[in-house]
Amino acid sequence: MTGIRRENEMSLFQGVDWGTVILYLVITLVGLAAVFSASYVEDAEDFFSFKHFYVKHMMWLGISYVIALVILLLDRSLWHKWAYIICLVTLAIVLLTFTPLGKVVNGARAWLGVGGFTLQPMEIAKVGVSLAVARMMSKYEFTVQRFSDMVKVLALLFVPFCIAVLQNDTGSGVVFCSFLFMFYREGLDNWICVPAIFFVALLILSFLLTPGVLLLSLIFIFTFSAGMLMRDRWKVCVKYVAVLMFVSTMLFLLLSFVAPSKFDFYDCLLYTTMVSMIGVVVYAYRANIRKLYFLVLIFFVSVICLPTSDMMFRHLRAHQQDRIRTFLGLHEDRDLLYNVTQSKIAIGSGGFAGQGYLDGVMVRYGRVPERHTDFIFCTIGEEFGFIGVVVLFVLLAMLILRIMRMGDRQLETFGRVYCYCVASILFFHCFINIGMTMGVVPIMGIPLPLVSYGGSSLLGFTMLIFIAIALDASPIKSQSSLLKW
Amino acid sequence: MNNPRNDKWRHRLLRWLVMFVFAFLALSAGYLQLIEGNEYFDRAERNVIRYIITYPPRGEVFDRNGEYLIQNRICYDLMVIPRETSKAGLDTLRLSQITGVSVSSLKSAFAKARKNGKIASPLAKYLTVEAKLKLDEWNLQGFYTVPRTVRQYPRNIGGNLLGSLREVSKEFLDNKNEDGYYIAGDYIGEQGIESAYEEELRGEKGRIRRNIYADHATTDVVEMEAEEGKDLVCTIDARLQAFAEELMAGKVGSVVAIEPSTGEILVMASSPTFDPNELVIGRERGNNYMRLLNEPRRPLYNRAVTSSQPPGSTFKLLNGLIGLQEGVLSPHNRYSCNKGYRAGGVKMGCHEHRSPLDLDYAIATSCNAYFANVFRNILENKKYKSPKEGYEAWRNYAESFGFGTQLGVDILGERKGVVKHRDYYDKIYRRSWNALTVLSVSIGQGEIQSTSLQLANFAATIANRGYYYTPHIVKAIEGQDSIDAKYRTPHYTPVDKRHFETIIKGMWRGVNRDGTCQLAKLEGYDVCGKTGTAQNPLGDDHSTFISFAPRNNPKIAIAVYVEHGVWGATAAVPIASLIEEMYLTDTIRRPWLIEHVKNLELDYYKAYDRHKKRK
Repeated sequence: MTGIRRENEMSLFQGVDWGTVILYLVITLVGLAAVFSASYVEDAEDFFSFKHFYVKHMMWLGISYVIALVILLLDRSLWHKWAYIICLVTLAIVLLTFTPLGKVVNGARAWLGVGGFTLQPMEIAKVGVSLAVARMMSKYEFTVQRFSDMVKVLALLFVPFCIAVLQNDTGSGVVFCSFLFMFYREGLDNWICVPAIFFVALLILSFLLTPGVLLLSLIFIFTFSAGMLMRDRWKVCVKYVAVLMFVSTMLFLLLSFVAPSKFDFYDCLLYTTMVSMIGVVVYAYRANIRKLYFLVLIFFVSVICLPTSDMMFRHLRAHQQDRIRTFLGLHEDRDLLYNVTQSKIAIGSGGFAGQGYLDGVMVRYGRVPERHTDFIFCTIGEEFGFIGVVVLFVLLAMLILRIMRMGDRQLETFGRVYCYCVASILFFHCFINIGMTMGVVPIMGIPLPLVSYGGSSLLGFTMLIFIAIALDASPIKSQSSLLKW
Repeated sequence: MNNPRNDKWRHRLLRWLVMFVFAFLALSAGYLQLIEGNEYFDRAERNVIRYIITYPPRGEVFDRNGEYLIQNRICYDLMVIPRETSKAGLDTLRLSQITGVSVSSLKSAFAKARKNGKIASPLAKYLTVEAKLKLDEWNLQGFYTVPRTVRQYPRNIGGNLLGSLREVSKEFLDNKNEDGYYIAGDYIGEQGIESAYEEELRGEKGRIRRNIYADHATTDVVEMEAEEGKDLVCTIDARLQAFAEELMAGKVGSVVAIEPSTGEILVMASSPTFDPNELVIGRERGNNYMRLLNEPRRPLYNRAVTSSQPPGSTFKLLNGLIGLQEGVLSPHNRYSCNKGYRAGGVKMGCHEHRSPLDLDYAIATSCNAYFANVFRNILENKKYKSPKEGYEAWRNYAESFGFGTQLGVDILGERKGVVKHRDYYDKIYRRSWNALTVLSVSIGQGEIQSTSLQLANFAATIANRGYYYTPHIVKAIEGQDSIDAKYRTPHYTPVDKRHFETIIKGMWRGVNRDGTCQLAKLEGYDVCGKTGTAQNPLGDDHSTFISFAPRNNPKIAIAVYVEHGVWGATAAVPIASLIEEMYLTDTIRRPWLIEHVKNLELDYYKAYDRHKKRK
């Protein structure tokens, strides 16, 4: 039973979704070609020396293929059983970065130095966290609609998020926000998703708004969502807003007398709203509308994280502040602007058909920073042009959609949730990574799945995808096999 | 809702979301690559590629005997890479002493270089070899010298003939740079040979494609090899040119000597002239240029081709030739001259001589009345319906000798001179004019002007008895079998050879028996010549002389024009004679004549010097 396939299976690869496997292989080979182009040195004598990124990448590809094969060979019930253990082990490895084994690369203490190679264990931990979340959510009677159930999952996700923030690698932490995608699939209420999405959007764009406007828009969105959640109790919401305004105005007038010009209206409104949340919780409890808890939670997270109160922003590292500011055009950090500008020039110069493989001048002459890792997309954009870019997009979208379809056809919640976790992570990575190279999303140091150079990332995504394939191929798909558990 | 597995709507929506996001990314990429693609492509090129122009050495110029007229000299630019200099600071005083550049300009150049500290910037230009050796000895960290060539003119002669180099002007780049060859900072020939043979001399620039990597490392690919400029062999005789300039010193005017059998220009001296080394590109060029430009006597001006003046009596030869050819004059025709010519209301003075006189003596003594008669006969020829048509016929003759047209010499800026068309007189005299109206033309005054080059060419035409080769200054171009065909085809005049013999007889007599130019006589070389004295309102008469020698098989034809030189015989004759003597005999047996020429005091106050700015 343990880890070894049982004899009575008909074929070694029975039920394997070959389409996904082929997509995976094609994308990794495109990645290898791009990494080669971004890192080879003309007329180098030591063509196969390990100092070249493409040689290392080839090695990692080999390792990944072997691991993929091993995953397919392993007993497919293994993952459900060992989900928590895998999660714990991988997170423990992540914690090793805080020991002397850890290495600081680009300001992030997210790396482990192992015998000449550096690993980013968070990439592997995503597998563990996804498995654990899937296991947790596949528990009997679990439902995302229930606040008490969701708090456990959110608490679980909060752990790697915090670690990533402590590692000064916020990008990897923010990836876990993508699980909202999966929660929505699992039935999270629309009107909880709306403020959540609004929160993420504000997180990026709030710098364009003044704190007062921000708070007012928060209050409006949340009250509106609450009204939609409660359906027939619009009056309560209107009353709530009216009382809020009245009380905060009174408070403001009172404070103006007591300590003139020490507080502004915004402060009063903020304090009143925060205090009023007690009332909201009490009301939700009384009226038995538990969904309101979600809103209260998101509201508090918003108030803490959003620069409404400047709280979270102050806690962001200087380079993260710069990245966000640069994206918003508020701050001219020359290095960061340089990254984005060079990357845009590289992609733009590809034109329709590209400059030809190995002929992209920007990449060839090292004008794009991080061209083999986070900015690998520039290589493809420059050398293969719009055609190449669209082909890559189609490949990636097909991979994500296939994994989502694999999730949809799972009979078991565990498999479905896991597949959607994988799809969420892939989707988020693709969107942020490609978006940042084209300057439509702020720069977050996260790689392009399966294409960027980087052993841990390649390994992590290989494991994520092939566990999904393994789950999909597993006999649990048929109702009868459930009995084997 | 309770069974997420069957929630078709939600997973369909998510599927659309994924596709929408990828479509959005594709749109962004499309915007970058398809709409702004070209702009980004240019920016990408600029990012990594620099094109470096390599300059070939410019062609050198030799005189007809193989002596250097224009030579390339190597000099050095001091370059600095501020990042690589030692932190201890720079001993600008010592550097200033070595390079001869002032401390303050060294400091400002260094400050400018510091702005881009990684790349090399010039600190001081045009250093001598000695300065370079001293710098090598010093071996300053971060400093090095690069060689470059500048022009030098070993003979110090012919400033306005040889021309100089200058940095190409913005105006030129904007308007005349048709093939786009020149870029700002390039050098281009100005004036003279440097300008006329710019394309041959400059060669072709080469191009190096420099690929710049992120770490500032570079690789160079030679895309185009620079092609060296071609050397030229000039027709100029450097020794003769130097001698002519020496003789012309202090006078305003020009000397042109031509080898009649080929049309090669042996001497083209314009005075005042300047030392071409003054205008070599370097620190002093600008100042020198402005000084020369502002001198009232215009030394930058090559008078031999750009100054047209009345030819005076030298022009009588042309009228004699035309008269003979037209049949209205025979060598034995005699006209009387009573100190001038009077007809109708026209009066033309003449000097004292025997009268009546025949053509020989009229040429030798330069009788105005005689040629007034000849000219009148040409125009009033019964062959033509009116003197106006006669004038037209006359003008065609004049043009066939190169008067009133550009000869096509290979020096830029050649003037046509003036030989008026019939229409001109029709217009100003309202069609009411006759031979007497334009009579002054008969003696080369009035509405008639020519350049010294045209006069020299006229002398060569007479020497050749009826034809000339277009005068030219370049004898051979490196890599070319022969010069342009237009310099190798004779131009025939419609005048018969025998008429030339008649005229030459008069010219010979003028020098060797009893004429105006007996000073030009050289024993053993039958010199033929004709003086000219052109009246003008700005001072003394212009002194001019055309001549060739020897009479048979002429080796040299020469025209000398000395503005305000009083009489033809005063200044022009001795100068021409000395040049002929030098060319034909290689020695000067009349040093007193040189002294005479050098000591001539001519009055230029009214013409030029009154414009001199008072200091």
